[in-house]
Amino acid sequence: MSYVAIKGGGRAIAGAAAVTEYLRTEEGLGNPDAEPLEIDAILHQLRHLVDRVVSEGGVYHPQFAALAVKQSLGDTLEAAFALRAWRSTRPRLSATPPLDTSRMRLIRRISSAFKEIPGGQMLGPTPDYALRLLRLELMDESPEAFRAVARDWLENCREAQLPDSYPKVLDALRAEGLLPPVAKTRRQTAFDITREPLVFPVPRSAALATMARAETGSLLAIAYSNMRGYGDVHPTVAELRVGYLPVLLPHPVTGELAEAGEVLMTECEVVAMYAAAEPGGKPQFTVGYGACFGHNEVKAISMAILDRALQKGMQDGPANPSEDPEFVLLHVDGVDSMGFASHYKMPHYVTFQSDLDRLRTTQQKSGEPA
Amino acid sequence: MELERKDWIRALTAHPAPDLHALAERLAAGCELRLTRLPQAGLGLLQLADGAFHEAYYLGEFPLSTCSLELTLADGRRAEGGAQVMADDAALARTLAILDAVLAARLPGWEDVSAQVQAGARLRAEADRRRRAMLAATRVDFALLGNTGEDDDEA
Repeated sequence: MSYVAIKGGGRAIAGAAAVTEYLRTEEGLGNPDAEPLEIDAILHQLRHLVDRVVSEGGVYHPQFAALAVKQSLGDTLEAAFALRAWRSTRPRLSATPPLDTSRMRLIRRISSAFKEIPGGQMLGPTPDYALRLLRLELMDESPEAFRAVARDWLENCREAQLPDSYPKVLDALRAEGLLPPVAKTRRQTAFDITREPLVFPVPRSAALATMARAETGSLLAIAYSNMRGYGDVHPTVAELRVGYLPVLLPHPVTGELAEAGEVLMTECEVVAMYAAAEPGGKPQFTVGYGACFGHNEVKAISMAILDRALQKGMQDGPANPSEDPEFVLLHVDGVDSMGFASHYKMPHYVTFQSDLDRLRTTQQKSGEPA
Repeated sequence: MELERKDWIRALTAHPAPDLHALAERLAAGCELRLTRLPQAGLGLLQLADGAFHEAYYLGEFPLSTCSLELTLADGRRAEGGAQVMADDAALARTLAILDAVLAARLPGWEDVSAQVQAGARLRAEADRRRRAMLAATRVDFALLGNTGEDDDEA
C-alpha cells in the first residue's frame, strides 16, 4: 500500500475552514441578541463536556479545554486533539511525587459495598437518583432565574463542620486481611506514556496512564463487554470519589512540598471476585482501580473494571478481549482511533486505482464478464 | 492566622493576576532582582499512588510555570523567593516568586503581601465551605428496606 502526495485544493480547504466558522457564528445573522459562547459559560454550564476534554486530552487545562470545545463546535475528539497539539508544544518542567488521593477535597463520595463507611456517604452533585426527563422550563430560562438558583441554594445551605479528608474504604478491608497487601506490588518508577511507546508486556502503571486519558466511550464499550458476559470481574464499588486534589511540588527555596494548584478528578476502587494470590494461599478479594481528570464516573468505573480484568489477563493469560492488554490499551485512545478513522477520508486515489486494476485482472482470469 | 509558606501560592492565586503583578512590581522597584531560575511556562506531570495497590502512575499533565529569584536591597539585605504555580503564565510565576521572597524575608512591604495572603486564604476558605456544603446537603444514611419508618431524617 502506498500513499500519494496531492496538490491543489488550497482555496477549497481555506473555504472549508471559513464555512465552519460561518456555521459557528450563523446565529448572529440579523439577530442583535446573539452572543458568542463565553469560555466561562462553557466551563461552568458544560462542565462535563470540559471534563471529558481535559481527561481525554491528558492535560488539566480547563480553560483551554473550553476553548477547544468552542472552536470544535462541541466535538470532543477534535477538542482533545487540539489540547494534545497544544501540550506537544510545551516543555516538561517537573513531575510531582506520587500524591495520596485521600487528601482530595471531596464534593462526592459513595460506596455500594457498605451502607455505612467511615466519614459517611455524600451524594454530592449527581443525576443518579433524578428522573431522566426533559426539563422544559430550561428552554426559556431568564438570566434572573438563572442567577437566582445558585444564590438561593447558597443562602439555604447549612454550615457544616466536616473533616478535610476521609479514610479509604479499601484501607478498612485491607486491615482485615481481605485484600492483597500493597507492599508486594509497589513500583518505584511509573511508566510515562507520553515519552515511551507501549511495547508489550507493559507494567500496570502504563495501563493505568493509558486508560486515564482514554476516550470514555471506548473504555466503556470494552468494560461493558466484560460486564455483559465476556469476562467475570463482577465488581462492587468499594468507593467512588469526586473532588479536588491538591497538586504538590517542592518549593524552589525550601524544598518543602507546596500546593501549586488543584485538579478536579474522579476516582473509583472496585472489589471483585475473590481468589488466592498463589496456590494454597489464603483467598482474598481482588481489586481494580480507575481515575481520571474531571468529573466522569462512567469512565472511572469502566477503568477500574478493566484494570482488574487486565491484571487477570496478565497473570493467567487473556480469556476475553477485555483481559488482553494489547487489545484494550491499543484501542482506547480517542485521538489515535479518530485519526485512523478520519484518515480514510483523505485521498487514496493511487491505492484504490491499484485495487481496481487487481480486481479487473482477477475477474478476467476467472473468466467472469468484466 | 499565619499561613505556612507552602500555602502562600494557593492563597495568593485566589486574587486576579493583575493585582498581584502591580503589588510585586511596586515592592521590587527598589531592589536588585537576579533570576536564579528563569521564568518558564510548561507542563508538570501528575503522579499518583493508585488506591488499589499504592503503585505510582501518571494521571496526566497540567500547566506549570516556575521561577526562582533573589532580591537584594540597597542596604545589602537579600531574600530568596520561588514559585511553582499551576498556570500557563511565566510572568505570574515571577510575580509570585517576588512576593514569596518579600514575605519570607520580611522585606519592606511584607505586610501588604501578608494581607493579600490572608485575604486570599479567606477566599479559598469560602470556596472550601461551598464544597463542604455540597457534602453536608447530600449526606445519606441508606437503611435496609423495612428497618425504618422514615424515608429521611432531619437531624
